[in-house]
Amino acid sequence: MKEKNGNVLIIGAGVAGMEASLLLANSDKKVYLVERTSYTGGNVIKFEKVFSNMECATCMLAPKQQELLANENIELLTLAEVIDVKGSAGDFTVKVRKKARYVDLQNCIGCSACFEPCPVSVKNEFEEGLSERKAIYVPCPGALPNVPAIDTENCVRFKGKDCQLCKEACMFEAIDFDQKDEELKLKVGAIIVATGFSTFDSKKTPHLGYGKLADVYTAFEFERMFASNGPTEGEIKLRNGETPKSAVIIHCVGREEKGYCSGVCCMYSLKFTHYLKEKLPEIKIAEFYSDLCIPGKSYQKFYEETKTMGPEIIRFNEIEVVNANGQLTVNYKPDTLNPKPQTLNTDMVILAPAIEPDGNANKLAEVIGIPQDEYGFFAEGHPEIDSVATQKEGIFIAGCVQGPKDIQDSVAQSEAAVGKILSSR
Amino acid sequence: MPMEEKIGVYVCECGPNIADKVDIDKVVETISSLPSVNVVERHKLLCSEDGKKFLKESIQKNELTRIVVAACSPKQHEVTFMRVCESAGINPYFFQLTNIREQCAWIIDDKEEATERTIRYIRAAIRRVLYHKALEKKEIEANPDVLVIGGGIAGISASLLLASGDRKVYLIEKTKVVGGKVREFAKLFPRMEPCSDIISQKIKEVENNKNIEVHTDSEVSEVLGFLGNFVAKVNTSENKAIEQPSEQAIKEKGLENKELELKVGAVVVATGFSMLDLQQLPQYGYGKYDNVYTALEFEKMNAEGKILLKNGKPPKQIAIIHCVGREKVGYCSRVCCMYSLKFANYIKSKLPSVKVSHLYTDLTVPGKTYQKFYEQTKEKDVEFIRAQDIEITESNGQLTINHKGTPNLKPLNTDMVILSSAITPSSDAHKLAEMLNISQGDNGFFVEEHPKLAPVSTSMEGIFITGCAQGPKNISDSIVQAQAVAGKILSSIIPGKKLELEVKTSEISEALCIGCQTCLEVCSYGAIYFDEIKRVCIVNEVLCRGCGNCVGSCPSGAASSKHFTTTQLHQEVVEALR
Repeated sequence: MKEKNGNVLIIGAGVAGMEASLLLANSDKKVYLVERTSYTGGNVIKFEKVFSNMECATCMLAPKQQELLANENIELLTLAEVIDVKGSAGDFTVKVRKKARYVDLQNCIGCSACFEPCPVSVKNEFEEGLSERKAIYVPCPGALPNVPAIDTENCVRFKGKDCQLCKEACMFEAIDFDQKDEELKLKVGAIIVATGFSTFDSKKTPHLGYGKLADVYTAFEFERMFASNGPTEGEIKLRNGETPKSAVIIHCVGREEKGYCSGVCCMYSLKFTHYLKEKLPEIKIAEFYSDLCIPGKSYQKFYEETKTMGPEIIRFNEIEVVNANGQLTVNYKPDTLNPKPQTLNTDMVILAPAIEPDGNANKLAEVIGIPQDEYGFFAEGHPEIDSVATQKEGIFIAGCVQGPKDIQDSVAQSEAAVGKILSSR
Repeated sequence: MPMEEKIGVYVCECGPNIADKVDIDKVVETISSLPSVNVVERHKLLCSEDGKKFLKESIQKNELTRIVVAACSPKQHEVTFMRVCESAGINPYFFQLTNIREQCAWIIDDKEEATERTIRYIRAAIRRVLYHKALEKKEIEANPDVLVIGGGIAGISASLLLASGDRKVYLIEKTKVVGGKVREFAKLFPRMEPCSDIISQKIKEVENNKNIEVHTDSEVSEVLGFLGNFVAKVNTSENKAIEQPSEQAIKEKGLENKELELKVGAVVVATGFSMLDLQQLPQYGYGKYDNVYTALEFEKMNAEGKILLKNGKPPKQIAIIHCVGREKVGYCSRVCCMYSLKFANYIKSKLPSVKVSHLYTDLTVPGKTYQKFYEQTKEKDVEFIRAQDIEITESNGQLTINHKGTPNLKPLNTDMVILSSAITPSSDAHKLAEMLNISQGDNGFFVEEHPKLAPVSTSMEGIFITGCAQGPKNISDSIVQAQAVAGKILSSIIPGKKLELEVKTSEISEALCIGCQTCLEVCSYGAIYFDEIKRVCIVNEVLCRGCGNCVGSCPSGAASSKHFTTTQLHQEVVEALR
């Protein structure tokens, strides 16, 4: 029998992919960690804090991210995508397309001297478009690896102009316009898919005003607004620059449309009350929910702590956000014995949208050849007793690619996938 | 003052980052004039390949014995330069990195001041490095075998992944059979798949696995030792005699009870859950009224066949009450809404005309497939009432549920009540916590090492928690955690591979220790023990992670942290302030 290949491919360098990589590398496996963006940490590094211990998320992840970069058993391939998978358990051949970064990972020290001279300015996707970035950029201060990438779609040099201002500014000869996109062929024995999640597009719930009313924000927009390394350096302010005196947080956005409860939105919405009260102790807050979903041993305690901060917590049946003569207004029917329509004026609205599969999930599922469930999440080997396996031997799933879940459960799944891989020798 | 050393100081320009803000010529000149320094060099970028080569060659050429690098944050490149020292043949702990980028160049606008501060920091580092001691990496042998406490679905799942030709698993189960509570479930939510096939298949796999040694009717009575080297004592009264007990053992313990001694490298706690004792909540009438059942009682009744009232007649109305005891325990048990919905499906498939009412507070159906299950259940003509302040009374065999709820404030008459009560830690959790030196939270569940990033490890290295022992959860998540434990153990304790230990541990001086045991209390890792004969505390280097808690709390100055000794820090500070 052919010797099984011990190498492992991990797709996605978020919290699940990183944990799996580190464990496998620790057991002397060669790990290829393929990440679509230019940085590690996934969605979690966009958070300033995590519930329910309100620990700083970037501080929590930084040691793992650094270990990842330092570990010799891990080959991190950023700006890379899996485009083909052939073979079977123990013997997969994987094709990866790796885009050129145009900045040398060895030579660059991350001093950011190249940003300033760049003539291009575009919206920063990482910051949910709340700030601008250059065509050579890191998504946010502190991103790891701390090496910028050139966005060829916006860089004027790649549009035919003879600009090399960034190269001239670099003291370390780190910028290399001659880098080429590569196609790599990897041989691995097992694959873990850990591509995480996106959030439900809040524009699909037009009655909540997102996209039409200036001060209606999504959860991620608010996360970045609160982030100390974000566009406002943590200052909570309205589009007109003023400080809000009141805020409304709406849970369960998209729950009906998606047909499932994402399990984490109530908790992160409660976290937002902590955020608001930390920066603006006087702010008036109302949280609107349909079912309070706070499962597990420590979450209700967090809810009770949050309640002491004074937000109104209202169970609603119907809700809409409108502009009433220039005033942001929430019309709602409370879910009580006497559900009379009510209105509430507010300065800002934060929407807590549902978790959905990452935008590239369909494509990836096709490339790998594993089925998705009716919601687009990757289907398990067996939903109740083998949720990290897939229907293809040797291919595993971990984290939100399998279904919406919190960080703890994502990490547990990634450790479980490692358990499955290491036990099947 | 330590003996004569040959010191080299290397100042990194970090391109313009340091060079533009600090007068490096002046730094080199000043440091060169210090009598104790042999070599002072500057480099454009010391962390580059070229810089590392330069550093290595300079160390070797000058036969240096102590190295100071003035550059960036230790978080960024301490390991880089320690590796260079090692490759140049010098102990990596004879090295000190001083951060003149983040702590001088980047924060001080005035160049003169930044330069002065840089010189000060380098002097302090030189002083400190003279007091450094060579530290060596240590390794210990580790036993790959694993003790799994609890033979429920989590314990079984972990055992099956862990056992292999070169790793034995001892599965210890308190009751007469393995399989745990899941054995009693007829079906699994949300797909209503029969449960017995799944669990009996798993049990069979355990029984057939020659690398799993199952001990039923057995309890762990003692666990001593540390990661890679635990010794556990197990009291067993199981019938199948694995080996002939010695005559002495028979005399001491009697025939049925014997004590096994097991040597393992890791311990998995998979002791499952209990249900809240409903006697504590008299308003529900459990124990008082005939037809008020606990969830597990109903599960069993359904599994055994017919759903009947105590008088043998089929019920016409059944009420299922969610969140029983939630307020009392202070948390939502996560699974009760779902298993309550499962009960409605049990009932509707056996007795389609029975009226089923759910009384709930918040519907907790997290995850991609659960809400659909709720909707499908609702379609089977099942009533849902949001209810609070529930109280149950009985008159002439008719149960009445009084509540405040929507959409209905009327008291609800019913024949049968099922109480979906909270999940609580298993009854022996406290005993185990003490035995294993792991902590329990306010709610009694075992506490994980980190609530986000390390859900199945504990602060005691080598001891893991899984399933409902860690917190209330469903079968799927319990199995995931069991597999996660396997992932942690299989990736850290590898047969034939030694464990590398933390180098910068604490040590306690026997001469100075007064035996007050303050350090014992502050150590989170159980790394300190008290020697009853010598009356002193001793650090177990295998467990110590060098956090320094003991050093800070020691009233007699007996505890010290290697590489952060009082002398080293004092000398560094004195020089910085001079």
